[in-house]
Amino acid sequence: MTIEAALSSALEGAVVIETGDQRGEFAGMLFAMFGAEVIKFEGRQGSNSRCIGPFAKSERDGEQSLYFERYNLGKKSVTLEFEHPAARAARHRLGSRADVVIDSGEADSVERRVKLYHEMQQSNPRLIVCTITPFGLDGPYRDLSMTDLTHLAMGGVMASCGYDPRPDGTYDTPPIAPAMWQAYHIACEHAVLAVFAALHFRELTGNGDLIDVSIHEAVSNCTEVAVPSYIYNHAIVQRQTGRHAAEHPTRPWLRRTNDGRYVKAFMFWSRHEARVIGEMLREAGIEHDLDSDSYRELCERSPSAGHSHLNGLVDKLAASMTADELFHRAQAKGLLWASVRVPEENMADPHFQARGTFQPLDGLVAGRALYYPVSLATDGNERLTAFQHGAPQLGEHTREVLTQLGISNAEINLLAREGAI
Amino acid sequence: MEIERRRPLDGVRVIDLTKIVAGPNATRMLATMGAEVIRVEWHDQRALDMLRMIRPAVPGGDPDSLNRSGLFNNLNAGKYGITLNMSLPQGRDLFKRLIAQASVLCENYSPEQMESWGLGYSALSQINPELIYLQITGMGKSGTYKAYRSVGPTAQALSGLTHMSGLPEPMPPAGWGYSYLDHSTGYYGAIFVLAALMKRRRTGRGCYIDLSQTETGLVLSGTAVLEAQITGKATERYGNRMPFAQWAPHGAFRCRGTDEWIAIAIQNDEQWAQFVEEMGSPEWACAARFAHASGRKTHEDELERLVAEFTQGQERYELMQRLQRRGIAAGPVQNAADRCERDPQLKYRGYFVPLPQSEIGTWPIEAFPAKFQNTPISVGGPPGRAAPLIGEDNDYVYREVLGLKPDEIAALKEDWVI
Repeated sequence: MTIEAALSSALEGAVVIETGDQRGEFAGMLFAMFGAEVIKFEGRQGSNSRCIGPFAKSERDGEQSLYFERYNLGKKSVTLEFEHPAARAARHRLGSRADVVIDSGEADSVERRVKLYHEMQQSNPRLIVCTITPFGLDGPYRDLSMTDLTHLAMGGVMASCGYDPRPDGTYDTPPIAPAMWQAYHIACEHAVLAVFAALHFRELTGNGDLIDVSIHEAVSNCTEVAVPSYIYNHAIVQRQTGRHAAEHPTRPWLRRTNDGRYVKAFMFWSRHEARVIGEMLREAGIEHDLDSDSYRELCERSPSAGHSHLNGLVDKLAASMTADELFHRAQAKGLLWASVRVPEENMADPHFQARGTFQPLDGLVAGRALYYPVSLATDGNERLTAFQHGAPQLGEHTREVLTQLGISNAEINLLAREGAI
Repeated sequence: MEIERRRPLDGVRVIDLTKIVAGPNATRMLATMGAEVIRVEWHDQRALDMLRMIRPAVPGGDPDSLNRSGLFNNLNAGKYGITLNMSLPQGRDLFKRLIAQASVLCENYSPEQMESWGLGYSALSQINPELIYLQITGMGKSGTYKAYRSVGPTAQALSGLTHMSGLPEPMPPAGWGYSYLDHSTGYYGAIFVLAALMKRRRTGRGCYIDLSQTETGLVLSGTAVLEAQITGKATERYGNRMPFAQWAPHGAFRCRGTDEWIAIAIQNDEQWAQFVEEMGSPEWACAARFAHASGRKTHEDELERLVAEFTQGQERYELMQRLQRRGIAAGPVQNAADRCERDPQLKYRGYFVPLPQSEIGTWPIEAFPAKFQNTPISVGGPPGRAAPLIGEDNDYVYREVLGLKPDEIAALKEDWVI
């Protein structure tokens, strides 16, 4: 059964080949989300991401990795050893059928495969090849060994994330790498953007391309005000607890609520907000002076002292109710506040249920669908994208894909004997 | 004015009613790919991008100028800019004429603003059935929270991204030190528009895209939702450690200097042996309890303390080079100054592109993070410059795009419409 969603057919008919390691898997998944046929070449041992936890049951079972499951939705799995000499004919036929190749990994191994893609482009000049490597395919850092953590460090994310400094301005806590796998998310988002650009250009010219995505540059591109602050004002933003890094210390956003949780109370410190908070305090039965002349005078005499006073009252307000109660009450009055939730909490929230944010997919756990947070847009009523199926088992589509390429059973058996599948 | 060279989005005109970061980031991507992006602004709070008024600003000049913000300049490179008073009926009529000649509308106003002007998707699609309308909101335009208001940090809190970032309880969440979901939602905004344009080539029909920042955050929450369904346990924070593999040490360690750190990720016993050798094989590091990954993971608190004693005397870039030579993933925690001044890779790859802006001159702009062999993309977009001044392109748009005569344009200015 085909699951209908308006933009899940945007790439209908397009064939995307995915090779390499975990760094590019999210990109392949996003192409599957838009309806491309994404064929993942894993080799006989399976992708290394099948060994990345957490695991549904026992560790090291390649069919139980939640990581693999999460980032390979909607794909087909083929165990062809892509670089094996015996795989040349299959590669050639695949190359003439494919629209896009996504390859990720260390620059050396990717570059070795790029030579194979050039061969494929000889017979199919429309082929778009996109590589995702730590630093791109050239440059002095090209061959550095990297992980998600070290990317978030060098790309500037960690320098903006963490906890408040001590009163003397020094830090006793480290910069923080926000969980999880965000460097690869950012790189894959840019890879998808880049491939879409090349697909549109191909419509004009008929030609494919070779795109070289650098994870380091992608992460660097995603640090908001940090770089402009330095470029224009030679200022360095300082990390702060639960709020934006800033040149100068700002007031807290996180407030502890009476259920031991937090609300993020984002504020502009305006008079309007003070008036609304005054209403909320009154409704909660908490005395306050926010509508008094003395508070107005305090704000006029010293805005900072006025903000400090208001800050203390917001703490009191938060301490009087639960996080979700405060979230809804604040939003009802137009404040930009939200409870700090764990992601899975949203599964039971009627808002996300109504929007179809979590798509149930069978596969990993027998007899039970798991809910995946995969929908991020609707057409006003229904989700715009959906996956046709979950992640593939290792080699689940080997024979199907090779047969579609016109490779006979005898040839497939020969590939198996030669260790290519 | 438009450069003749063909680009991926040649012929695609985007009307841009976006503000702050999320929307402008989406349209920046489209401008980079060659779309003609026309920013529509006005001198009131609803329609003026507050980013024009906040730091960092280029020093000097008129302190009341709306054209000196560095962040605005970075996020709005490659676009055209016009003024249009949408609160007046004449302004809305002009807007409809623009929509009739556009391919895409992107906006991230408050959720009900466009409907209140009679400019929701149902009205605009009557004018232009091929229109692709991207609306970015915090929670989405349908569902219980459709009227809720949000900025990036709000969506980060609700989606779980704030909770997941930081040291374990009893420490509070560290969250994100910037509006990550403004960036990400911008990327997805552009991706959805590009997908919709692909589909429109086949069908000839436009569509409405109701993109939610909070849902974007959920998509980016990794395996947390799956794990919680399997284990029944709530998602926890784990600082900089790696909970899904026996990688240890795995974190940020203080180095010589003020607030200087290095991130190190030891992924196996061989790398640990190399690390021990690099440290000069101190007695503690040769202890049996650290020899294997499982032992290092079990004793991770102690291990991190001892590793930090070693790194605190080291210069972070030198240490990175020494560890990298031994095959260990390590890199300094780089702030913006480091990336601008000390990162040879970004320099080599031409990451910062100098682009002119009409009031503040030429400044470095962050480029698209990929190289293309054939596809011509440029962060300067069709105008080949950084961000537009407010209303800088009124003449081009009203005269050449809408075909208004000079006296009509003058009258609209006189009536405070443009």
